[in-house]
Amino acid sequence: MSWLDSTVHRAMIEAALVGVLGGVVGVFVIARRLPFFTMALTHGTFPGIVIAALLGVDLYLGGGVFGLLVVLAVVVFSRARGQDFTAATGIALSGGFALGVVLVSAQDGFSKDLTAYTVGDVLAVSTTDLVITAGVAVVVLVVMAALGKELLLVAFDRDGASAVGLPTAVLDFALLAIIEVTVVATVPALGAILTVALLVGPAATARLITDRLVLLFPIAVAVGVSCALAGVWVSTQWNVAAGASIALFCGAAFGVAFLASVLRGRLRPAAGVLAPPAAVPEEARA
Amino acid sequence: MTQQQDRTAALVLEKASVAYGHVPVLEELHGTVRSGEAVALIGPNGAGKSTLIKAVLGLVPTVRGRIEVLGVTPAQARRDVAYVPQADTLDPDFPVSVEQVVMMGRYRKIGWLRRPSATDRTLAAEALERVGLSDRAKNRFGTLSGGQRQRVLLARAIAAQPRLLLLDEPFNGVDAVSQHALLEAIALLKQQGAAVVVSTHDLAIAHLACDEVCLLNRHQFGFGPTDAILTPERLRATYGGHALELRGDRVIVTQT
Repeated sequence: MSWLDSTVHRAMIEAALVGVLGGVVGVFVIARRLPFFTMALTHGTFPGIVIAALLGVDLYLGGGVFGLLVVLAVVVFSRARGQDFTAATGIALSGGFALGVVLVSAQDGFSKDLTAYTVGDVLAVSTTDLVITAGVAVVVLVVMAALGKELLLVAFDRDGASAVGLPTAVLDFALLAIIEVTVVATVPALGAILTVALLVGPAATARLITDRLVLLFPIAVAVGVSCALAGVWVSTQWNVAAGASIALFCGAAFGVAFLASVLRGRLRPAAGVLAPPAAVPEEARA
Repeated sequence: MTQQQDRTAALVLEKASVAYGHVPVLEELHGTVRSGEAVALIGPNGAGKSTLIKAVLGLVPTVRGRIEVLGVTPAQARRDVAYVPQADTLDPDFPVSVEQVVMMGRYRKIGWLRRPSATDRTLAAEALERVGLSDRAKNRFGTLSGGQRQRVLLARAIAAQPRLLLLDEPFNGVDAVSQHALLEAIALLKQQGAAVVVSTHDLAIAHLACDEVCLLNRHQFGFGPTDAILTPERLRATYGGHALELRGDRVIVTQT
């Protein structure tokens, strides 16, 4: 009997892998202010899952392909005059989810698959799921290491990146595709609704702890892996939902870091939640 | 001026018209900026100063006429052109240090998939030294004052070793210390043979730092030696008749 035959062992490895992925990719999600987009993506993959179930193909392949279509739609719609990225994202979020609901309501017998899809079931991951997640993690980490400085420049100064001749649209699409692939790889563990917790929580927590980019990645990974493993452990000890436990740990980690930064006096003066972002690049509006 | 006639043309505008889509923004621009010279782009808000800079970078198309940069098209010249954006257009919360921002100036020359070499690090450190901010290298970019951030962005451009430097309103809201540091760094770049294009509202700075002036407001209202071009008549024409006051040789635009 192999060590991997244990449900808990497989769950632990899956959790650690998605913890690493969520932490690393999350740093860019936070730096580019993309949590809402990530949220939309998780919902946008929904119709893909339903269609895959109808066609009898792999659910996550269906989600992945449909998610890429959502990414493309957001990129195209956000170029429309008088619109911005968040409007296009909101439409993709609601439209994708609604399409999924319509497809489900037209069909019977989805409920079991659907629960696993929406809130995840890390204790049910197969060895094949593990291999896929590990493969995705390797590809994402290699691509991010290879394009690191270009992704950084586009994130920080879009006009400056265009000015030196970087293909900003291609790099944007690469980043959104990285997020999309990460979402799809994380969904079996956390579910579509809760995946955003691991892609935003650990990196946001790290951002409260440090200002330095080089430290953000290891801290976010450490927080992500810890929350994921703790969630699985709590789930097996008290027989509660694993995905939700992981998401709760992510929230708790952020809460603790937030309190610590309040105590250290590191909060900025209140700007109001509806204050416009400090910098809206001209290109984004044009 | 006679010496400058011999210098090579870094930027040539030949009856160039620039447009976003079908909307013309700038029409019939004509003039030359030579290596070692600085030209000030002066005009009211919305005059098209930033658009001209983007056209020189090849980011906005030239629909008629021609823009030639360092003897080639704007897109072909990017390797030797550096652009300094307004510091306040950048996210002050972005987790990036001052030295990382300066290193971005080297990215083009480092190339894809490669990491900065020792030479890149030395050039970035020297560039930061030139704007007098070596002691802030490890600080997060957003913690610096507006003027200091502008100097860091100039250091980033210096690190790129440009033959043509484009600055978009670098003196806006900048304190006296930073203004002085910016002017000194720009003067040194000129000495080393770079051509400089700087858009500004500040006529005094145009007098101080620039050999030539280009008066812009959709059209060109003059392009030539600073003293010859910055006349009350031309300024009044450029600014659409908004009141101007003259005190000695000083010209004040009361509304921009």
